[in-house]
Amino acid sequence: MTLIRRCSLILCLVALGLSICAVAYGQASAPAAAPAAAAPPPSAAELKDAAAKAPTTDQLKAGDPGGSITGTINDVPVSDAKTGLTAGDVASQVGQNKIGINFTWTLVCGFLVMFMQAGFAMVESGLCRVKNANHTYMMNFFVYGCGLLAYWIIGFAIQMGGAAGNGNLGGLQPLSVEHPITLFGKTWGIFGQTSMFLTGHAYDVGVMVIFLFQMVFMDTALTIVTGACAERWKFLTFSVSSVLMGAFTYPLFANWAWGAGWLSQLGSNLGLGHGYADFAGSGVVHSVGGMTALAVALIVGPRIGKYNRDGSSNAIIGHDISAVLIGCFILAFGWFGFNPGSTLGASANGNLRIGSIAVNTMLAGCTGTFGALLYMWALKGKPDASMSGNGLLAGLVAITAPSGFVNPVNSCIIGLIAGVLVCLSCSFVENVLKVDDPVGAISVHGTNGLWGVLSVGLFADGTSNYGGSWNGVAGSVTGLFYGDASQLAAQLVGISTLLGFVFTFSFLLNWGLEVFVGHRVSAETEMAGLDIPEMGQLGYPEFVFREEPAHMTAHAMAVA
Amino acid sequence: MAANTGQGRGFTTFLVGFTLACVGIAYLSTGLGKLAFAAGVIIFAVSLFGFLKIKPLEGKPAMNASPTVMKLIGAFLAAFGWVITLFGMHVTDGTSGRIVLALVGIGVSLVGMIGVLPAAFNKNAIWKA
Repeated sequence: MTLIRRCSLILCLVALGLSICAVAYGQASAPAAAPAAAAPPPSAAELKDAAAKAPTTDQLKAGDPGGSITGTINDVPVSDAKTGLTAGDVASQVGQNKIGINFTWTLVCGFLVMFMQAGFAMVESGLCRVKNANHTYMMNFFVYGCGLLAYWIIGFAIQMGGAAGNGNLGGLQPLSVEHPITLFGKTWGIFGQTSMFLTGHAYDVGVMVIFLFQMVFMDTALTIVTGACAERWKFLTFSVSSVLMGAFTYPLFANWAWGAGWLSQLGSNLGLGHGYADFAGSGVVHSVGGMTALAVALIVGPRIGKYNRDGSSNAIIGHDISAVLIGCFILAFGWFGFNPGSTLGASANGNLRIGSIAVNTMLAGCTGTFGALLYMWALKGKPDASMSGNGLLAGLVAITAPSGFVNPVNSCIIGLIAGVLVCLSCSFVENVLKVDDPVGAISVHGTNGLWGVLSVGLFADGTSNYGGSWNGVAGSVTGLFYGDASQLAAQLVGISTLLGFVFTFSFLLNWGLEVFVGHRVSAETEMAGLDIPEMGQLGYPEFVFREEPAHMTAHAMAVA
Repeated sequence: MAANTGQGRGFTTFLVGFTLACVGIAYLSTGLGKLAFAAGVIIFAVSLFGFLKIKPLEGKPAMNASPTVMKLIGAFLAAFGWVITLFGMHVTDGTSGRIVLALVGIGVSLVGMIGVLPAAFNKNAIWKA
């Protein structure tokens, strides 16, 4: 009976999705307006005339409450005082303005993404028991330092050391050495080789901007793992594992996708669409985090009391649902840096699409929430708060890769599917795989990250135009539903790499750490809560702890 | 014994070794770079063996040993699926064929990841006792 109800709900949601889809395909595209003829450059006489008409110093001394005389031709730097202002000076200033706008945009978006760490900390800690609050908050706090250090030392060089050529940020020419291999007569990028420690030629204004932006993305991937392994992960092993992930696991895949690596060359080398396309990182950030989370959660094992002898699971309720929901809002806010910021600019090269990317992000989060909330309400009887929060995040994760390539209606469909998918995946991970994931990180980021990557190959509508090409292939990224099946093939290669390489690499790396360091705290520590034994201080010292029910402590007693 | 001074010293040593090894990589073409790399690797190894030494002092976790061979098979299958996908791209020029081979690769990886590996870790799971 439950199965029938579940199937009928899924069918209803699919029907809703299809009806939205029908609306999308019914939209007639308006004919593009003819571009206006370019104006001729100003003559020397015109520039002189404009300078003469500019406000005088006396006028400026009187103040400018209306803002109409501040910022004029007199503010354009002159390269040679004798000849005065030239068309070259004006053009240089225009170029610098473009780069200035793009730098500012990228940095501000990076700051927003950095703030997502606070959201992750609140979500993960809120979903854990009070006796582990300090430990969970500290993991989310310290992962920032571990990741940043490792990324500065070597991670950024591996990822972006060969990524020169981005016109939005001035060309990034110091990042010019990618280590290649030749296979089947084609050359493929494997890892970058410049800018370790940001020294030498990497001491460059553009490189600093891209470093900051990419660093906060990397840190987002790292913090996903802390949620899946919360309440039993040894702080030492977490620290070592995070350093290694920030140094190697994340940068390698990020190089292949974003740093001129082989996945981005699938289009130019093999004719697979525009190569692997991942606009803001459903795969690069979220799936890498989710795959690593699954690998480590397998090794670290389920929390004491999570499973009964017959294999059935017990719900271990988090201590602060208000922190969870506020954390989700902080994350949703930060996502406006994540997705629109991935244009790496707001001026030129089709970057005005930032508005559409922001709206897509917003809509997918909305429908993701609806998908999860309605699924839980209709099938379990309550609009579950934590799953609704996870639905919001699932929608946001799923739209991250396609946000720059799809229209708003498709964003809604992608988000809606993600919201349902996260509920199904959480249940599958917990009840079938018997992997204990206290916050649902594997499902939110891993499963929906893969869905996001796949959805580019299905829903990309071919209207985006970021400088006329993507990954060196002319034209716009176009998915299967809009006529390009080869893009879907490229996306599947990306998914296969996430499953086959990233997961295996993370698994072997952390298995090695299990041998040398050990991932899990002692049973005694786990029972007491990790706050005092691991951190030396309770998260909430004035709280009175409840005894765990007997069925949840039996295994621990046996071990102790 | 949970977090302790031995762990703190070990992690500091690990970071020093890691940083020094990376300095060596950055300047590997110079003699000093090679020296830094060698020193970093040695310090890195020392930190790992330091971790190994203090590991037994930290108490027994609530988990049993799981079969190593099964875990290796799971990891191998996960990686092998990726290899199928990679070589599948060169076996055929047709998009449909490439999509099918990529799906086969993904399927093989999933068997390793969510079939064999969870079974390996749950085989002797402590909650079964």
